[in-house]
Amino acid sequence: MDDLLNDFLAETAEILAEAGGALVAWEADPADRAQLDAIFRLVHTIKGSSGFLSLPRVTALSHAAEDALDQVRRGNRPANAALVTAVLAIVDRLSSLCGVLGSTGQEPQGDDSDVIEALALVDDRPAAKAAPVVAETAPTDEDINAELQSWRSIRVPLPLLDSVMTGVTDIVLARNEFARLLRESGADASVIASFDRLSDSIAGMRQSVSQMRMQRFDMLFSPLARFVRDLALDFGYKVRFSTSGGEVELDREMMENIRDPLIHIVRNAIDHGIEHLDERVAGGKGITAHIDVSARQSGNQIEIMVRDDGRGLSPDALVAKAISARIVTAAEAKALTPREKLELIFRPGFSTAAKVTSISGRGVGMDIVKANLEKIGGVVELRNDEGRGLTIALRVPMTLTIISGLMVRAAAQYFAIPRGSVREILLETSDSVRIDRVGGGELATVRGEQFPLLRLEHVLGGAIDDTDDQDDRAIILVRPGQGHSYALSVAAIHDHEELVIKPAAPMIMATGLYAGTTLPDNGRPVLLLDVQGLLAAAGVDASEAGRSHDANAEAEAEVAAARDVAQLLLFCDVGGRMRGVRLSVIERVEEVPAAALFETAGTVQAKIGTDIFPVHAAAAPKGRDAVKLLRLNDGQSVLCYPIEAVIDIVRLPDVVQAAQEPGLIAGVVLIGGQPVELIDPFWLMAQYGAEQAVPSSRQPLCRLSDDVDGWADNFLAPILRNAGYRVVSGDKVVEGERPDVQLCFVDGPAAPVAGDVPLVRLRSSVAATGPDDDSIYRYDRGALLEALRSRVAGARS
Amino acid sequence: MMEKLYLIARIADTRVALRSRAINSVVTVGTPVHVPAAPPHVAGLFALRSRVFTLIDPHVVIGLPAVAVAPGQRVIVVDVADHGYALLADAIEDVCFIDAPETRVTGRLLPGWARVADAMIEYEGASLLVVDPSHFITLPVAKAA
Repeated sequence: MDDLLNDFLAETAEILAEAGGALVAWEADPADRAQLDAIFRLVHTIKGSSGFLSLPRVTALSHAAEDALDQVRRGNRPANAALVTAVLAIVDRLSSLCGVLGSTGQEPQGDDSDVIEALALVDDRPAAKAAPVVAETAPTDEDINAELQSWRSIRVPLPLLDSVMTGVTDIVLARNEFARLLRESGADASVIASFDRLSDSIAGMRQSVSQMRMQRFDMLFSPLARFVRDLALDFGYKVRFSTSGGEVELDREMMENIRDPLIHIVRNAIDHGIEHLDERVAGGKGITAHIDVSARQSGNQIEIMVRDDGRGLSPDALVAKAISARIVTAAEAKALTPREKLELIFRPGFSTAAKVTSISGRGVGMDIVKANLEKIGGVVELRNDEGRGLTIALRVPMTLTIISGLMVRAAAQYFAIPRGSVREILLETSDSVRIDRVGGGELATVRGEQFPLLRLEHVLGGAIDDTDDQDDRAIILVRPGQGHSYALSVAAIHDHEELVIKPAAPMIMATGLYAGTTLPDNGRPVLLLDVQGLLAAAGVDASEAGRSHDANAEAEAEVAAARDVAQLLLFCDVGGRMRGVRLSVIERVEEVPAAALFETAGTVQAKIGTDIFPVHAAAAPKGRDAVKLLRLNDGQSVLCYPIEAVIDIVRLPDVVQAAQEPGLIAGVVLIGGQPVELIDPFWLMAQYGAEQAVPSSRQPLCRLSDDVDGWADNFLAPILRNAGYRVVSGDKVVEGERPDVQLCFVDGPAAPVAGDVPLVRLRSSVAATGPDDDSIYRYDRGALLEALRSRVAGARS
Repeated sequence: MMEKLYLIARIADTRVALRSRAINSVVTVGTPVHVPAAPPHVAGLFALRSRVFTLIDPHVVIGLPAVAVAPGQRVIVVDVADHGYALLADAIEDVCFIDAPETRVTGRLLPGWARVADAMIEYEGASLLVVDPSHFITLPVAKAA
């Protein structure tokens, strides 16, 4: 009974994790029939096993979920987010039940009617709104049963699997030996034919057995989707989670070892990497953060990359934290290289003990991640792009991995090269290859693209075998990793086959040239070359940067162009309308206390830090604590535009329905089918620009002469200063500077006109004394400023 | 009883006793596969059933010149740290119980032997070195460092 229960628990834990992932994927696309079927099968399996073990609560829960999902499958009820949430609640309840089961061996007493009823409640929604889940006809029970049969799995102890595997490999070797004997003995054709049949089935069996030991990355990725969804909800982030390379296979045991480190890294990406919405907007990023997890086979390693587009790591902040955590002293920190600063996160005790959140407070730090990886011969690498994101790469060696390998010959011996890193194979005698000796090194030019040329014999410390046919020599263009490539010359290409790779002895791995050993069907071991290690051994810089080939430059230009595409910040304005504004004019999104906004002279101003900026609003907001402001900047002045919330950043559509009249709204665009009003920053700035002091590098100097009663100083000077003039009174002279214009009073004492400084004369009477009178009434602000402007401009031109 | 069981073999031109519990099996090899750029004591790779073993030439470990592997030569298969190795043996004499106790190595040995010998044992009127096969594998790595 205990065995049965343990098997059930192990299986159920796996299924629940998978179901969670599938549910999230389904939620994203309710029309995805395959996901729905998968979830249904998973729940059905739990129900089946639990009934057998008489676990009534588990059975009831899984039955409820199965029932609901079946109704969806049959088109009797809609698939919607509420349903997914309800099913997720059941999945969670099942998980916690299984947790208790695992520790006590007893199904705990309790009541699950809450989650089951939640599921039923969703059911009450009108079925008329049924999502188009069932485009095809609803499957019959037979179909469903057939699907279940194809999916079912059993659990097998690992040693048994291993012994089956060794057994099959031995059979293959025995078969090969037998085949050789058979050929030599000149056996009957009918014997050979029947032997061939045996041989084929052995080959098939070998393939299946190898696959038993391997697991696809999908198994690891699918629970992550659920994990990211829940975490993002907790934080209120919008996160797009994508995975790639789910079809890459890895030894199941290895897979178990990287599960926790991977989860931890993804958690960190959300917890520490992704910024708050406003910060993302200010940084010119989309509101929706992106986390991408990918797996790929790179040479003799499997590389798992977790990439986020968050804030990245700040070396200075890391150092500060390390010093406060007493991991390094300030003096030590000074000596650290930028790389070492980043790697502080791997120091024990660095991790976020200071801020244990519900999410990251699990007590695992990056030091544990690193230690776990190193235990299985892996490495952790950081690729930091401060402000733009962080990529963490986990690289684990392929042990017992099946790879497609290219068999090559060099120095009268066979070697295998991972097919995945081979870009192209050419004969050395081919017309498209030119080999040049340059300063003792060799260079292969293939169709105008240059590659450093390594000869495998030389890298391995041997000499080229003269007995080999020179016409057979081939060049393999190898790409060990992104941005690196080289040409490898070998004596001959043999063939390629599926190879089971096992690690070689440590002293052989220590040469850095080999990634493992493999045993092809002929029973003679073959070394798998480490395509990256060969490079290191040859001491060649294989970086593609700066080579004649400019594909990289093109790619970069493309990325840059994509970045230049106008982006639109969607927001909800204070009136609740959805509006958009070009992202490039937004300096940042500011959240200020409502008290920072004040009304003055009929306009609203905001005090941000020590600056005061105009706000586009009719009145200071009332009845709220804080206000979000978009800060528009035209390079000279700043204007704040109050908003309710930032919604998203999208690409600005090409088609804009322009507004009839110039005004706040430049036009209307369609975003996702919704009309969105486009704010016209030009108009907006124009409304407030005049009130801004012109922060010109050289403000014109205005001299006020004969200000007898202080009128000019008290009444006039502030207006002039506001209009962007510097003002001096009377005979005060600014050192080394001549006034640009001077003001005097017609009815005052004779103006001491200094040189050829343009003069504006003011009079006290409203009416002019005559047609020749070019003086200006002193309270005619418009005329005065206009006169000043034209005199200054005239003097300067 | 297993503790008293020894394999008497001639490796690196010297008769030695190996504790049987350290030994996996004794087999014959064909032509091993050369490993270019490997440390000098690695005589190559060979497959035994479905496993790949690394062939070690004890001569080199002791400080003697390497010897060529003759087809059909017998090797002593051992497992060290989850990897399979095979020590080239000049000859395999016998597997036998030795009741005499292991004694401390007396006398001055050549440096190469001093590193691999654990003890001495009296067998049929001769003193044999008791060697630990794992020393033949790990030592040269340390030496290279």
